[in-house]
Amino acid sequence: MSTAEERPTTSETTELAASVAPRVRLLSAPAEAALFQQLRRNLLTNTLTQALQRSRLRVSLATILTLFLWAGLLVLFYAGFDFLDDAIPEPATHDETVRVVYGVFFASLTVMLVISTAIIVYSGLYRSDEATFLLTTPIRDERVFLHKFQQGMLFSSWGFLLLGSPMLVAYGMVVDAPWFYYLSLLPFMAAFVYIPGSLGAILCLLVVRYLPTNRVQALTVGGIFCAICALWLIWTLIANRSNELLTPDWFLEMIGRLRSSENRLLPSWWLSTGLLEAARSGWDDESERTALVESVMFLAVTASNALVLHHIAVWTAGWTYRTGYGALISEHVTRRRYRVAWMDRAADLILRPLNPQLRLLIIKDLRLFRRDPVQWSQFLIFFGLLALYFLNTRRLSYDVNYASWVNMISFLNLAVVGLILSTFTTRFIFPMISLEGRRFWILGRLPVGRDMILWSKFYFAAIGSLFPCTILIVLSDLMLRVSPLIIWIHILACVLLCSGLSGIAVGLGAKMPDLRDDSPSRIAAGFGGTLNLVLSAAFIVSLVVITTVPCHFYLLATQDEATSFHLDPARQWNWLILGLIGGCVLGAAATAIPLAIGLRAFRRLEA
Amino acid sequence: MIEFCNVSRTYGRKLAVAGLDLTVRAGELFAFLGPNGAGKTTSIKMLVGLLRPSSGQLRVCGFDVVKESQQANSLVGYIPDEPYLYDKLTGREFLQFVAGMFGLASRAADERLAREIARFDLTSFIDDLCESYSHGMKQRVALAGALLHDPEVLVLDEPTVGLDPRSVRLIKDLLRARAAAGATVFMSTHSLAIAEEIADRVGIVHQGHLRFVGTVDELRRQSERMGQASLEQMFLEMTETAEPGTAASEELPPSAGEGQL
Repeated sequence: MSTAEERPTTSETTELAASVAPRVRLLSAPAEAALFQQLRRNLLTNTLTQALQRSRLRVSLATILTLFLWAGLLVLFYAGFDFLDDAIPEPATHDETVRVVYGVFFASLTVMLVISTAIIVYSGLYRSDEATFLLTTPIRDERVFLHKFQQGMLFSSWGFLLLGSPMLVAYGMVVDAPWFYYLSLLPFMAAFVYIPGSLGAILCLLVVRYLPTNRVQALTVGGIFCAICALWLIWTLIANRSNELLTPDWFLEMIGRLRSSENRLLPSWWLSTGLLEAARSGWDDESERTALVESVMFLAVTASNALVLHHIAVWTAGWTYRTGYGALISEHVTRRRYRVAWMDRAADLILRPLNPQLRLLIIKDLRLFRRDPVQWSQFLIFFGLLALYFLNTRRLSYDVNYASWVNMISFLNLAVVGLILSTFTTRFIFPMISLEGRRFWILGRLPVGRDMILWSKFYFAAIGSLFPCTILIVLSDLMLRVSPLIIWIHILACVLLCSGLSGIAVGLGAKMPDLRDDSPSRIAAGFGGTLNLVLSAAFIVSLVVITTVPCHFYLLATQDEATSFHLDPARQWNWLILGLIGGCVLGAAATAIPLAIGLRAFRRLEA
Repeated sequence: MIEFCNVSRTYGRKLAVAGLDLTVRAGELFAFLGPNGAGKTTSIKMLVGLLRPSSGQLRVCGFDVVKESQQANSLVGYIPDEPYLYDKLTGREFLQFVAGMFGLASRAADERLAREIARFDLTSFIDDLCESYSHGMKQRVALAGALLHDPEVLVLDEPTVGLDPRSVRLIKDLLRARAAAGATVFMSTHSLAIAEEIADRVGIVHQGHLRFVGTVDELRRQSERMGQASLEQMFLEMTETAEPGTAASEELPPSAGEGQL
């Protein structure tokens, strides 16, 4: 049945539109801007007020840690630039070195900001409930884009402001820069981040508009292209090296090879040159005045390019955003039928000695992990990169023929594996209990003890991390050709790390669950997650120091007669044994204490 | 007034809405009925400008929702099934923001705010952050926001799902009152009982096709003619082949155009 016969005529429709037209009240662009400014002000005020009322400790801790990190970076950069000042007294080479350091730093940052802004803007514009809400209101599409774009810019660039500002301030302090230099830092940085940010946003809008269903493939091709470019760049740096590693000639050769980052068309070059000129500027002589003018000109170039790109991004949003949004939300989801995979069967076989219910819970978590690309892809990328790095450390053993260096590098590699594992336990294991809270009505009613649920998480994390970590560590040691003693100690340390980090993540996750949030990344970014990361880092550093430092000295003592004279091998052996025992005790404590606390809290948990 | 003029929408090769031809006039309360995946939400998303029709034209009070989306949106009050509120705003701040978006002057906004707060009984929690609201409280604040600018057209997607009986009663009374005041009300629902109780006309949609449109009495008469014992039986008969949970349940033949009513 149709109601086409009831349809009004064209003249009726036109009359109707004309009659309601006076009721259509559309905001001007400045009025929209003021309204959204008010919205952001309200959101910020309420968030800060709530944080100060409810989580004063957390806010204080975050502020203090941020200031501490900023000050630490300032000291570190100051020492670095000071060293450079002393080590390279010749002004031309010194300036060139700083220019190259700045160039490489800002060029890398440009690439990272393009990618990170594109990702953040994508989730803000196309995957957020707020954008859906705003698109149903009489606000212009350009304003919705601007609102989410500015949010995205803030999220993607705060890290740059936090990490970049101490470097720039430290440089100013070392070269005794004038006040103008410090004054120009913020405008330079703000103008600079807008360029890659706008490029990332434009890229995101165009990909979604023109490749809504093939965006993953397009981004994969783009990612492969970027990876090839990165590999080519690395190759141009390390290939056909004609000088010995860590010599002055090698240094000059490297500086020469890194000059590609100084392309005049790169915004990173405008920024670094503008800042270096600002650091030399002044009023006293002609060269200082010229430097001042040059700096202002570079700031103008950076800012004008930022503004042009910003306008292009807004203009692009005007004609692509709503259409792209519609295309994206209407893409057809193909259903995939999941079956029992070989991995599940293998896990079932390996875990056969365990209680059947415990086994089922572990296999359930394994399935969730496997079917969530965010989890396994990050796992694969980080551990893959580490494996690549370890495979290349063989070069180092040829170049630096000094055993204690190699041993130290192997210890550092152990710490790096631990630190990366700790980020995974914080991001993926810690939120598990909080996420179970939402499904607690299922688990809570099952005929299994609550302890078993927690133990299943622990076994899943500990066993799941043990294999890749041990393989990586053994790979690193074999590539570095360290002694078998170190390999065995590292394997022991690896077992302790996996067990301890899993214990901390599962225990704290149960002690401090966030049952209201359904986003694992937000749960991990909360206070509990931060505490988990800090405790994990402290555990890793303590364990690595306890188990590896005595080993290092023992190997040093047994290296040759000269060192044996200063370090008694028998005494160092005793320290080594003591260190290993200490490490085992620390590992057991890191596993048992948080787990016990978590078990107690989980038994009392009311979902 | 809402006009769907031979509107179709496809998702790839899936036909979600097939040649929908429908006019809902001012002062009318229209209930859009159908099983999951019938095309109700797709139609509503096109109506509020979130989706573009693959073909056909859609007008709100004479304004084309694709070409004049801002004008059309300014005349619509829309409440989705899961309304969005800013967690870190209070209900009052949210309503003030909505009033601002619809261009209400400060004094008028204050008056309308007071009116809606009283109408939906929001006083006890309007100054709390929205993150602390229950589903029902959120729905009431969203309704207040949708009515602040006295919209010519009110569009609601499953407005009564998850609400307590008092809130359901409130919404039913409100929708009837809006229609009586001359607004066009377009709502989607699963509930035949609600449609029977308050709708002037109902449309039954299945696999993207409008299978029936008319008053409840007309539906009842057709039910009797077809020998069905009840409206429910009739509804089930009309939507018999529906696959629960499918987003779009009919596939286009390789060279097919849009379906016809």
